[in-house]
Amino acid sequence: MNPAPTPASRGPLASALGHLARRRRLWLYLGMLLLLAGAALMAPWLAPSDPYDLAQVELRDSLRPPWWLADSLPGHPLGTDVQGRDLLSLMLYGARVSLAIGFGAVLLQLLLGVTLGLLAGYRGGRLDALLMRWADVQLAFSTLMMAIVISAVVKAAFGGAFYGHYGIWLLILIIGLSEWPLYARTVRASVMAEKRKEYIEAARVLGFSAPRVVLRHLLPNTLPALLVISGAQIGQAIMAEAALSFLGLGMPETQPSLGSLIKSGFDYLQSGAWWITLLPGAYLVLTVLAVNLLGDAWRERLDTRHAPVSPTAKGG
Amino acid sequence: MRDSNRFKFRLAALSAARPRLLSLLLLCVSALPLTARADDVTLNVAYDTLPVSLDIHEQLSVGVLRLAHLAFDPLVRWDRHLGLEPRLATAWERVNDTTLRLHLRRGVHFHSGNLFTARDVAWTVARLKRSPDFKAIFAPIVGVTVVDDTTVDLHTRRPFPLLLNLATYIFPLDSRFYSGQLPAEAGDRQGQDKAAIAKGGNTFASRHLSGTGPFEITRFQPGARIELTRFPDYWDHTSPGNVDHLSEVAIGESATRVAALLAGDVDFIAPVPTTALTRLEHNPGIDLVTMPGVRITLLQLNQRRVPAFRDRRVRLAMNYAVDQRAIAKHLLEGFVTPAAQMSPEGYAGHDDQLTPRYDLAKARRLMREAGYADGFEVTLMAPNNRYVNDAQTAQVALAVAAMLAKIHIRVEFKTLPKNQYWTEYDRRAADIMMMGWYSDTGDSANFFEYLTFCPDSRSGTGQYNASEYCNPELDSLIALANSETDMRRRTSMLRQAEAMVYADAPFIPLYWQNLAWAASDRVAIEPVLNVMNMPYLGDVVVTPRAGETHSR
Repeated sequence: MNPAPTPASRGPLASALGHLARRRRLWLYLGMLLLLAGAALMAPWLAPSDPYDLAQVELRDSLRPPWWLADSLPGHPLGTDVQGRDLLSLMLYGARVSLAIGFGAVLLQLLLGVTLGLLAGYRGGRLDALLMRWADVQLAFSTLMMAIVISAVVKAAFGGAFYGHYGIWLLILIIGLSEWPLYARTVRASVMAEKRKEYIEAARVLGFSAPRVVLRHLLPNTLPALLVISGAQIGQAIMAEAALSFLGLGMPETQPSLGSLIKSGFDYLQSGAWWITLLPGAYLVLTVLAVNLLGDAWRERLDTRHAPVSPTAKGG
Repeated sequence: MRDSNRFKFRLAALSAARPRLLSLLLLCVSALPLTARADDVTLNVAYDTLPVSLDIHEQLSVGVLRLAHLAFDPLVRWDRHLGLEPRLATAWERVNDTTLRLHLRRGVHFHSGNLFTARDVAWTVARLKRSPDFKAIFAPIVGVTVVDDTTVDLHTRRPFPLLLNLATYIFPLDSRFYSGQLPAEAGDRQGQDKAAIAKGGNTFASRHLSGTGPFEITRFQPGARIELTRFPDYWDHTSPGNVDHLSEVAIGESATRVAALLAGDVDFIAPVPTTALTRLEHNPGIDLVTMPGVRITLLQLNQRRVPAFRDRRVRLAMNYAVDQRAIAKHLLEGFVTPAAQMSPEGYAGHDDQLTPRYDLAKARRLMREAGYADGFEVTLMAPNNRYVNDAQTAQVALAVAAMLAKIHIRVEFKTLPKNQYWTEYDRRAADIMMMGWYSDTGDSANFFEYLTFCPDSRSGTGQYNASEYCNPELDSLIALANSETDMRRRTSMLRQAEAMVYADAPFIPLYWQNLAWAASDRVAIEPVLNVMNMPYLGDVVVTPRAGETHSR
C-alpha cells in the first residue's frame, strides 16, 4: 500500500512536514492505545489485588476515595467501590473485559459481514436482494435496540445463570450480530465495483473457481476499506457493551466491565463517591478515543480521496 | 405478604372502561371546578403503584389497603407504636375464649347515606371469607353474630389471640349498597350479583364504592389515578385532617417520582428510593421521614438441596460469617436496621438479646468441626432492583458472597428481575434464596407460619420456607401460642420460638428495611405515618399555599 499521493499544489517541504505530523499523530494514538490496552492485558500482574477473588474483599473498606483525598487507604491508590473492592484492579480487569468484547465483537462482525457481503456482491440476483433487504431491515433499527432485543431473548431462552456464566461470549455474540450489516454493505459495494474490472474477468476466463476468485482476488481489494471501518467499529462495540451494562444487560457484578462499573457507581454518585463512576468512565473514554483517532489517522493515510485531486474515475 | 406490586399486569384488562362509566366520570370531572372553592386544600400524592380495582377485597396488597384507609374505615387500626386504636369499633371485650365482642360507633353514615350497623360488619366478614386473597387470613373466624345494631360477636373455633389484629383488615362495606343484582342496563352482566368478587373482573364492586371513610371517590383510572374529595358527613369530627381534594397518581419510575416531588408537581411520595434519601434529606422545603420497617430480608439455606446445610454447625458458621452491621452501614447507607431474628421491634416475639453475631474466627472453627474446612460450592439467587424500589439487593447478594468466601464457601450468585425471581423461587431453583417478608397480621407468629413451618402443601403452611427446614417442636410451640389468649404467656412463647430459631439457624437474617416517605414541608406528614406503610391521609394537615388561602 502506497502512501497518499502528494498534492501537486503544495511544495515538497510542506508536504513532508504534513507527512511527519500525521505520522507522529499516528504513533501518539498508537502509543496511547497500547498503554491503555497493555495495562488491561497485564491486569493480573499490575493490579494490586484480584477483584474476582471474593475472599479478599472487605466490606468495611468500602467507598474509600483515591489516594490524594483524606480518608484513603494505602493499598487502594484509586480508592474502593461500594463492596470494598480495589478500584484500580477493577478498572484494569474491567478494561480487559471491555476490550475483549470490543475486539471479539468486531471480529464476529467482520466474519459475518465479509462472508455475506462477498456472497451478495459476487452472486448478485436473488441472494443479493435477500441479504441486503435483511441488512436494511436490521439497519433500520438502532443497533443498541437490536442488542437489547437479542440479549432479552437469550436471557429468556437460557435463563440468567447461563447469561452470567457466558457473559463475555454472549455480549460478543450480541454486539457482533447486531452490527454486521455495515461490513456486508461495504464489502458488497466494493465487490460490485471490482468484479467488472478486467483482472477479475481475466481470472474467470482462466477458469479459476469462484471461491478462488473471491478469496484471492476480490477480498484483498476490499481490505483497506475494512480496516478503516474496524477502527470506528471497535470503539462502537466497546461503547455498546458499556451501554448494555449500564442498562443492566451486560456483565454481572462479579466480573464487571468498565460499563458495569460506571453503572454500579452511578447509585453512589449523589452520596459523593464520584470515583467509582468517573475513573472507569475516563478510562473508557480514553480507550475509545484512542481507537477512534487511530482509525481516523489510518484512514487518512490510506484514503487517496483525502488528497485534493479529482476523485479517481469509476471503472478501469 | 411477599410483594406489593403483583397486580401490575392486570391493568390492561381493566382500563378498557365501559363507555357509560366513562361518561359518568367525565360528568364528575366537569362538575369539579364548580364545586371546588378557591380556599379548598388540595393534596397531590404519587405512589409507585395504585390499585386497579375499587373492590378492596379483590387483592391483598399495600396499595389496596391504602385505598381502604381513604374510602373506608377499619374497625380498629394500628397507631405509630404498633398499638391498636379504636375506629368503627369503640370498645371490645372477650366474652369467652373463642368469642370477641365489639361495640360499634353510633351515627356513622356511608357515602351512599345508609346508616352503618352491625349487619354491615357481619356482611363484610362473610364477603372476606369468600375473597380468594383474604380467606386464608380470615379462616380462624367461623362465625359472626349480630347482637344488636351496634354490637357484634366474632367467633373462632379455637382460642385465637389475634382477632383484634384481624379486625384491622375489616373495613365495613355498605351492605345495602353492594346487595342485589345488576339491572338491565348492565347488558350482558345483567343479573350479576353486586357483591361478586372477581380478580381483574368487571364487577359492580370494582367500579362502585360506598364506605364510611374520610374521602369519596370522584374519579378513578385503574392503576393510574384516583381523585377523591372529603366526605362532608364524615363521622370523625376530632380528626385534624383538612384536605378537601386528594389526588393520587402512580409514578412507577422512582427517579421520576422524586423529580415530581422536587418540582412541586406532587406534595407527597412513597416509596422513596434509597439512592435519593441523602439528597432529599438535605433539601430545604422537603421533609424526609424514615422509620425502622417491619419487613425482614433473609437468606434461606435449602437443606433439601445441600446436605451440608443439614449440619447445624455449618448453618451457624454462615450466620457468624455474615456481618449484618457492615452491610447496613457500608452498603445500604444506614437505611436498613440490621437483624438477627425475624420479629422487628414492637412485635411480641422480638427479643433484644438476639443481636447480630459476626465472628469470623468462630465461623471458621465451626466449619472445621463440621468437617468442611475447605468449604463447598453453593448457588444463590436474589431479586435485583432494576425496576423496583428496594434495597440494593444485588449488591447485598454480592457482599454476602464475599463474606461467605472467607469461610471457603464459594457462592455462585445471580440476580433476576422480581417477576422472574418469584417463578424461580417457587421452583426452589438455588441453594440459597433471598426472601423478604411482612407479617400479614402484624404479629410474630405469621413469620413462623410462612418461613419456618414444615412445608405442607395441603394446609399451605411453610409456603415460603425455602430452607426446607422442619422442626415439629417449633411448629407446635407456635401452634400453642396461636391459641393462647393470655398475652403475657403468648409473648414469652413467641420469644422462646425466636430464640430456638436463633440457636438452630435455618436461615441468615439480614435486615429490616427502613421505610421512607418524603413530602413538601407544607404537609405535616409525620403524625399520620406508621410502620404498616399505610399513611392515614384522612388525618393529615396541610398548610395551604399562600395563594390558596387569600385568593377569594
